[in-house]
Amino acid sequence: MEFQLNAEEAAFRDEVRAFLRRELTPEVFAAHRDTTEQGMWTADFTKAFRRKLGAAGYLGMGWPKEYGGGGRSRIYQAILWDEMEWHRAPGLDRSMTYIPNAVMTFGSDAQKAALLPKIICGEISWFVGYSEPEAGSDLANLKTRAVADGDDFVITGQKAFSSDAHMADYGWVAARTDPNSERHKGLSMFIVDMKSPGVTIARHPTLAGWTHHSVHFDNVRVPRSMLVGELHQGWKVVMGAIDFERAALASPGLVNYQFDRLLAWCAHGRDGGERPIDDPVVQDTLVRLAIEAEGGRIMSYWLASLHARGQYPQHETSLALLVKRETARLFDEAAMDLLGPYAPLRAGAPHAQLEGEVEVEYRDHLYFQFAAGGFDITRNVVAQRGLKLPR
Amino acid sequence: MDITLNEDHVMLRDTALSFAQGALTKARIRELETTEHGFDTGVWQEMTQMGWAAACFPEKYGGAEASLFELALIVEALGNGAVPSPIFSTVIESGFLLLDAASAPQKDEWLQRIAEGEALLTVALMEANGGLRPQDVKAAIVRAGNGFRIDGTKAFVRDAGAADGIISLVRSGERPEDLTLALVPKDAKGVSMRRMPAAGGEALWEVAFNGVEVNADAIVSEMGGAWPWATRLLLRGAAFKSAELVGIGGAALDLTVEYAKQRVQFGKPIGSFQGVQHHCAEMYRDLEVSRLLSWQASSSMGAGLAGEREVAMAKAKASQCIPALTRTAHQIHGAIAYYRDYPLELYYHRALAAQAAYGDAAYHRRTLARLLTSDKNSFRGADPHELPVHYF
Repeated sequence: MEFQLNAEEAAFRDEVRAFLRRELTPEVFAAHRDTTEQGMWTADFTKAFRRKLGAAGYLGMGWPKEYGGGGRSRIYQAILWDEMEWHRAPGLDRSMTYIPNAVMTFGSDAQKAALLPKIICGEISWFVGYSEPEAGSDLANLKTRAVADGDDFVITGQKAFSSDAHMADYGWVAARTDPNSERHKGLSMFIVDMKSPGVTIARHPTLAGWTHHSVHFDNVRVPRSMLVGELHQGWKVVMGAIDFERAALASPGLVNYQFDRLLAWCAHGRDGGERPIDDPVVQDTLVRLAIEAEGGRIMSYWLASLHARGQYPQHETSLALLVKRETARLFDEAAMDLLGPYAPLRAGAPHAQLEGEVEVEYRDHLYFQFAAGGFDITRNVVAQRGLKLPR
Repeated sequence: MDITLNEDHVMLRDTALSFAQGALTKARIRELETTEHGFDTGVWQEMTQMGWAAACFPEKYGGAEASLFELALIVEALGNGAVPSPIFSTVIESGFLLLDAASAPQKDEWLQRIAEGEALLTVALMEANGGLRPQDVKAAIVRAGNGFRIDGTKAFVRDAGAADGIISLVRSGERPEDLTLALVPKDAKGVSMRRMPAAGGEALWEVAFNGVEVNADAIVSEMGGAWPWATRLLLRGAAFKSAELVGIGGAALDLTVEYAKQRVQFGKPIGSFQGVQHHCAEMYRDLEVSRLLSWQASSSMGAGLAGEREVAMAKAKASQCIPALTRTAHQIHGAIAYYRDYPLELYYHRALAAQAAYGDAAYHRRTLARLLTSDKNSFRGADPHELPVHYF
């Protein structure tokens, strides 16, 4: 039982911090920050940064050596994710976490040979095509169809809530291959080249200010070689790699940044006024938040420790993501409370505090409550898979 | 970093849980709550025979030199089994205090006997004002002949009725921290005590010293040097109480989940209802966060006040969450658990008693606020980032 980083881990953390501080200077923030993108950076910068992560060896650092990876333990990956979130770096997304793990687990040798070398360099971006207009919380209700036709499958249907689809080179798309099947049976997984004829992308402005996307597939031909795993066994693929993504999403970096930013603000008086931190009520608020943040931080490294020991936490990753995102929302709420009259001021407004970020996050993080399962669905998952309560 | 239980930890935890859950029937535990001493001496003998009293003691006193974390696993298990025992008064308060601060003859006199279950000790810190600050100590010690005389009244003294001696925190000067620890034999002339009946059968006592005379060798550590030892005692007490709270919460959640699976209403197990599932998921969430904070707390203590931040976080969280967890557990059970022959009430009461011990949630948040305002960086953990000041 060791709660501290050892010397080698701490050295890695320092290395990652130095990399991120070198790459993400205030000038870079000023030039490439973009609140119309879900990742809060321009698409071009996100892609360029992904390549830098690749060149620095970070994208593949946890991959097995047989795939050109660094074979480093999950503790190191957790440190990387933690620091990337704290520094608000772009690229900590499905193209780095979920997809490579899923390709390694379920992909054919040919798929691995074709895709992994590009993924590890950061050359390609992905979107995950699971959700549909009629299949959100109830994913097994998906209607998109894939029909075998010669050496191809022909995909027709609508994917919704498709994060970063506009910058994706490939889609990781679940479709119903057995037309007589129901629910999670008869689904298959496909890798779809987004430049294929018949793929169109629609834009949906969100209340957070960034634009979300949906993807329409109109008789899109996908070679049979791009079927992932076995025919009609797509549900296994959906479920099999999701815990890895949840573990990455459960990184504590964001919440720690929220805390450090709020603490810095509270320790700083405005226009010669009193410092909020001298108010015992403010101190109590900060202390309560610090306890929650610390709990979430340890939970995240607990997961990494289990993975590093070769164990496979299941519902625990859902729990950790719930804890992280609920805690982030606590910070959004507390920041609103502490910032008082400044709270609703948008970036650029006279007297806006913290560059308006708290107001942006109050809107942006709303998606935590429903995305990747969302709070209530995750509580169901924890109750049913973790506590074995009946369905 | 490695936040996992190793094989020895798992074996220890399983052994301790198995013992704690089987040591006493629930009926016997309820009966013990009505007795003067509140615990079963036979069970304490078994615990000492397993080496639990001396787990962290040096070998020369019959100890196994286990880590505080390992003892915390045992305490967590005792909380899970609702096993009453003098482990807090005799080991966590007195044993560690003697190891820290006592003279060699004092250690020789007591530690081996504590290890073997032949002696019980307790520490009297608090008084009727309920405070945990040095200025809250009013009971006084003065020189008298070759020894000392003690006058005043201590309160909230754990297991005083059963203890062979009471290590008492008393005032030896006018400045707030002019405090001294004196080991008062229970049969000393002028000692009187009365039970303070409390939730969960917690054996708390008020102890009055009326012209009690003790020899010079009763002083633990040195005159006026007690407060640093008292703060360490409070720190350890809070860390181990957070472990006990985690055990209490785990038992309450287990009872609730089992009940929700079996109890059928409206033609279905109530555990299939989302309202019940969400309650259970939140109980589990709070329990796991409390458990990890508690593990970190007992792993972080070392010299001096090392781990102060981690312990305060663990006790603040567990003191707030675990009683709330037991309230939700009762909500899900409904009327059946309101009856005393259903075991949930044991945990409901123990959570109330444990959240109050060694500082409640507000006390520990106050500690954290002090750390926050005195040193922002150390407050932010082992490897803080530079605060983002580019905003200003």
